[in-house]
Amino acid sequence: MIKSQTLQIALPTNEKVEKEQQNKVKQSEAVTIIIDGKLDDKGLSDPNSGMLYYYDGMPETDKLATTGESNMKQVEFGNNTGGAYPAIREILQERNKEVCLKIADLKKEWKEMKFSKNEELNDSIYNEKAKAIRNDSTLKRPVVIIKATPNASYAHVVSVLDEMQINNISRYQIDRINEVDSAMMILLQGKNLNK
Amino acid sequence: MGKVKIKKKETRIDMTAMSDVTVLLLTFFMITPPSVAEEKVPDANLLSVLVSPQGKVFLEVLGSKDSTMKSETVRADLLKNMVAEYKKTHPSANLAFTNKEIETFSKLNAFGVPITKMKEWLNLEPDQRDKFLESEQNPGVPINMNEDPNNPNEFQMWIRAAYNSVNPELQEAMVKGRGIAIKADQTTPYSVVNVVMDNLQTMKMNKFSLMTALKTSEE
Repeated sequence: MIKSQTLQIALPTNEKVEKEQQNKVKQSEAVTIIIDGKLDDKGLSDPNSGMLYYYDGMPETDKLATTGESNMKQVEFGNNTGGAYPAIREILQERNKEVCLKIADLKKEWKEMKFSKNEELNDSIYNEKAKAIRNDSTLKRPVVIIKATPNASYAHVVSVLDEMQINNISRYQIDRINEVDSAMMILLQGKNLNK
Repeated sequence: MGKVKIKKKETRIDMTAMSDVTVLLLTFFMITPPSVAEEKVPDANLLSVLVSPQGKVFLEVLGSKDSTMKSETVRADLLKNMVAEYKKTHPSANLAFTNKEIETFSKLNAFGVPITKMKEWLNLEPDQRDKFLESEQNPGVPINMNEDPNNPNEFQMWIRAAYNSVNPELQEAMVKGRGIAIKADQTTPYSVVNVVMDNLQTMKMNKFSLMTALKTSEE
């Protein structure tokens, strides 16, 4: 039997107090990603189609109320084997540029086995250094808030979590979608239909 | 020339092991979401939460790798703990299992029936037990959106029962996030997986793993 792998995740607790603390994310660093999908007649969510919505910082509620415009953007998810991943990846890499560049340099040194001629030692030194870069608070690093609609497929949620790892994002959390998010999505969908 | 002795093989098939087939079928058709995560699923001290796309929940419990805390021992203790947990909120419930029923339970890899149906289920013939587990009428382990840990649903009771089991290694693994693994098909709507995650959060089990299939990174 093929052994499967596991992806470790940590969620905030459901306790109210901690939640309030959790939400104190610096506005300039926050990126919210919302995963959406479609259910078929069997109630399953197709991992080969889906939509991603994202916005930086806080939702612009005032602008939303007066003009119906928001800072939310939309990208198609595409299929699981590639599809639109480059699109989200670009978005995340752009926001985590400082970390990604440093990791890329580090990776070069790792490939040339600059840390040690011993492969294992070379790996472990690389991993330690990479971890330090990911957690370096002097660098500009985003906090990614991942949300999903009820119809989003589980595969998409996992693949967005994967993007955190791929793009060296150390700070992310899974949160619940709220009314403002839904309102922005509906407005954006309507606007795109009218085009 | 010396004769080659052929060892006599046991022809009897252990039917208790057969009863795992059903849940294997359920998981066999499950395609876990592809991920770049490379960590292997632990083969010991693990509570697996199998979630069907319709939101039915089944549980699997594994003890330690060596014989210090056999799965059977952990499961027998788990059922006793569950009875105690259930009685906390249902003090008048007439819920008790015979040693034989506990033994049957301890040999089952997976289970997922309401606790009030458990006795009846354990006393079924193995093939009937399988049938019932997958039948429409079986709701699986009862679970709902519940954020009140003082008034837990049955899923949350099982989690607590497993956490407080005789196996300290399982408890440690659960705290570290390697002791609980969610297994669901990739097409499962997030609303379904979210119920399980939210239940775990309520039980302060906010670190856990998701079972995935290895995907090579496109780097």
